[in-house]
Amino acid sequence: MEISSSLSDTPQSTPVLILGGGVAGLAAAVDLSRRGLSCVLAEREPVLGGRARDFCCKAVAACARCGACRLADLLAEASVRPQITIYTSALATTAQPRDRGWQVELAPAGPAQPAAAGPGAPLPGRLSLAAQAVILAVGQQPFDPAQKSSLGYGRVPGVISALELEARLALGAWENEPPPAKLAFIQCVGSRDQALGRLWCSRVCCGYALRLARLLKAGRPEMDIAFFHMDVQDYGRAWEEELAELRQELRFLRAMPGEVALGATGPEVVFALADGAQRREAFDLVVLSQGLGPPAGAAALAQMFGLARIVDGFLGQPQAPVAAGAPGVYVAGACRGPRSLAESIDHAGLAAAAAAAHVAQEAGRG
Amino acid sequence: MARVSLVWLERPGLEGLAPELVARAAGVALDRGGLVEAVVVTAPEAAAPPALKRRLLGLPVAWLDLALEVGGGDDALRLARAAAAVARAAGRAALATLPPVYAPQPALNVLVAGAGLAALAAAYEAAALGHPVLLATPLAAAHTPGQDDDPEEVSLLAAQLPASVTLAPQTELTELTGAAGAFRARLAGPQGAATQTFGAVVLAPAGQWSVSCEVDGLDPALTRPVWQLQAQEISGPPDGWLYAAVLAGTARPLTADSFSRALRAALALAQRPRLQVALLFSEARVASEGGERLFRECRQAGVLAMRVAPGELTVREGGRLLAWPDPLLGEDLELAPDLIVLADQAAAPRPAFLDNRLLWPSWPALLPDNPRFSGGRSSRTGLYILGALRGTAPGAARREEAADAAADLHERLTGKLVPMPVVRDKICARCLTCVRTCPHGVPRHIVDSIQCAPAGCVACGVCAAECPAQAIAPPGWSNPEMFAGLERALALAAQPRLVLFACANSAMPAVGELSAGGHVWPAGLVMQPVVCAGRVGMHLIMKALELGARGVLVAGCHDGNCRSVSGNLRARLRTEQASQTLGELGLDPESVQFLHLASNQPRALAQAVDQMAAGALEG
Repeated sequence: MEISSSLSDTPQSTPVLILGGGVAGLAAAVDLSRRGLSCVLAEREPVLGGRARDFCCKAVAACARCGACRLADLLAEASVRPQITIYTSALATTAQPRDRGWQVELAPAGPAQPAAAGPGAPLPGRLSLAAQAVILAVGQQPFDPAQKSSLGYGRVPGVISALELEARLALGAWENEPPPAKLAFIQCVGSRDQALGRLWCSRVCCGYALRLARLLKAGRPEMDIAFFHMDVQDYGRAWEEELAELRQELRFLRAMPGEVALGATGPEVVFALADGAQRREAFDLVVLSQGLGPPAGAAALAQMFGLARIVDGFLGQPQAPVAAGAPGVYVAGACRGPRSLAESIDHAGLAAAAAAAHVAQEAGRG
Repeated sequence: MARVSLVWLERPGLEGLAPELVARAAGVALDRGGLVEAVVVTAPEAAAPPALKRRLLGLPVAWLDLALEVGGGDDALRLARAAAAVARAAGRAALATLPPVYAPQPALNVLVAGAGLAALAAAYEAAALGHPVLLATPLAAAHTPGQDDDPEEVSLLAAQLPASVTLAPQTELTELTGAAGAFRARLAGPQGAATQTFGAVVLAPAGQWSVSCEVDGLDPALTRPVWQLQAQEISGPPDGWLYAAVLAGTARPLTADSFSRALRAALALAQRPRLQVALLFSEARVASEGGERLFRECRQAGVLAMRVAPGELTVREGGRLLAWPDPLLGEDLELAPDLIVLADQAAAPRPAFLDNRLLWPSWPALLPDNPRFSGGRSSRTGLYILGALRGTAPGAARREEAADAAADLHERLTGKLVPMPVVRDKICARCLTCVRTCPHGVPRHIVDSIQCAPAGCVACGVCAAECPAQAIAPPGWSNPEMFAGLERALALAAQPRLVLFACANSAMPAVGELSAGGHVWPAGLVMQPVVCAGRVGMHLIMKALELGARGVLVAGCHDGNCRSVSGNLRARLRTEQASQTLGELGLDPESVQFLHLASNQPRALAQAVDQMAAGALEG
């Protein structure tokens, strides 16, 4: 691929600028090109893909419908569409409203990076870009389980986050060493939690944790897996049948553990079931199903574009699916609120439609 | 047969390879800018400079992402791998059948059959992209909202519909055949029935309320579904309390959207004077936006949230008394409400014409529960199923689906890249195998010939794999072309020779990731990328073995993840059959294998290839 090494051949204006190159940003770019519009996509990291890169395939006998494979589809689609210009290691630093759109300054994020495989090239230098519409697709920030210190993360060996489990499985964990005999998932870590001020369900954790549990169990039927939860959320079209099977395979414990303590052999989970009696159970591995939160840069972006944020700190406006709250600015994907990969992709399509309509309307203004 | 030249574009991953040596080893000429008959380019089409594309216009071109297939290893190995890949591409390019010069133009108009938010949004979005739209609704007016739609949102959208949307009220879609670019739709309206052609069709019937599954035997005089509840008209007696029970998924948990509706009903009741409200549920489905806050608001407003295990709610005393076991007390709790509110959910009836099994696949095959069929898509290209019929929650999600569907149909009908299957009419036996097996409904039997819908094909190649006469294939994917490529590549490959048929949606991205990481592939491995594993039929497997392959690995998507619905399962069936045949002949049945894979499972692919290489060495 020809890599533009100077700013002379970079665009100075674009109909649509997309901030964020995860599944939502990529889907918005692909959708705009389907509509015949070109766009510039700026990703802060040196590689595209965002959080979706961290998820492993959870197929057992059949596809588990986690949607992680959609990232490769989108990367392949984005790479064959000439209307899409992609910059990696590119950070938006300022944005000024201008006649019919926004003037956005992009700057290289961090030291110069070599081009990664796949579409896109590192931003060669500072770039001032005039965009008629902007789509914010900056994704979500997984809850840091260390903030809920009672659950032992970072303190009790054998307590890991769900994302760490994903990474271990993607690297082929326990292929050459014995797997943990007893494993616990603790749900709603950083979700539905008044004490943390996080009064939302993260939508996806029941789905990903149960899929991970099933994946683990498939290769190792003797593994004892406990699933600590408040409620099991809906996680797909065939969820009821899947849940019925899962209830045979896993121990569903309706309890939110108050503490994970360091026991003699590993982590011990302290919890109370409906009868009120306190219990203590030792596990080899405790997985904390961390929730989704507003992206780290949400406040800065909101200030940059003059946006009010919705109540929980996510970008966007209540009652408006994709309008961000400033003319020509739209939100796509999980920065608007917790969404699965598939939902983020669908949402990005609506954001692209709205941005395209805005561009057309401005053009019609003559 | 055309003379093939190699156009060398330097790409990351090709460092250290000498173009002259690769060309010579592959038996092709290295392009130096002169006249060429057919070419292999060492880059995907998207990465080629425009000047090169202009120069190659009208020629058979094999775009080969060579770096993907080379991988790591020493110079000699990389040269051998590059030569085999170029030879394979050259074999196909030499025989390339160019797409037919004349292909029928797809129809550009869109039929939206239905009403409510999803239908209006689809009509609006398709019209915004320049498509003439016919919005046919069996209801009296096109802007009638579905029962689960927000009427205000619907009337707002109806007012914005441009003039390119024609409204046909009291008009029902009674029959439909075809695929993208050429649907035939029979519409029955006040002026009679007529058949018309459309490029794309959107099915979005209006949602109708029904009670989502709750317990039987309730006193009908006490019960009311959420959609009929007028909470503002209810209050308790002046001297006491009125007790209301909201059943929010006691027999089985609700969807998040239905649960939120039940919560809003409970909250509205709790805010009325002298009303005591109990909410009975098995799981608190709070995943809708604002669901958790709403749940808390209910409890703060005095709603008693009571959890009942699914199926444990019993009805006594003629349907007036609710009882369920309480885990803490160890005995039954009882409630005799004055009002029982039942959670509801909207659904839409499935159009009757889809029940015709000769023309339409079963509902699960038409609307697969497959992450690749999102955004309103069905397995029939150009047909979109939206809203309540699809089971999509009301509101924003329906607008998303409509926008996605419109963008997809727009590209499909106006894009230049849609392949058109080549049918060799003289050898076609009209056995209708392609009509039966095409996962996208593209070939049709019309007046004693096979005709393909002009914008429907995705080049999965299932027709080419299954056609017993070898009479149909997407351009570039016919058996002679693929055989020629394999023959030239296998002739170069080291022993033991292996063939990997790699699906573009799963195996090829995994190959790409491995190669980019310097993975060392076995010297004798020939990769044959395919759009879908479904392209790999018996002919191809047996040809690979005949040409000296000691192992054939077909890598496709996981079950339920195929972009062509079941191309992967079809390929697996064919490998199993080939394997059985080998066993019956006294040959090693293990030398033909199928691997289910996702794009992010490169390790599994590497292991399977290594295993096959080891097996071929032993065997």
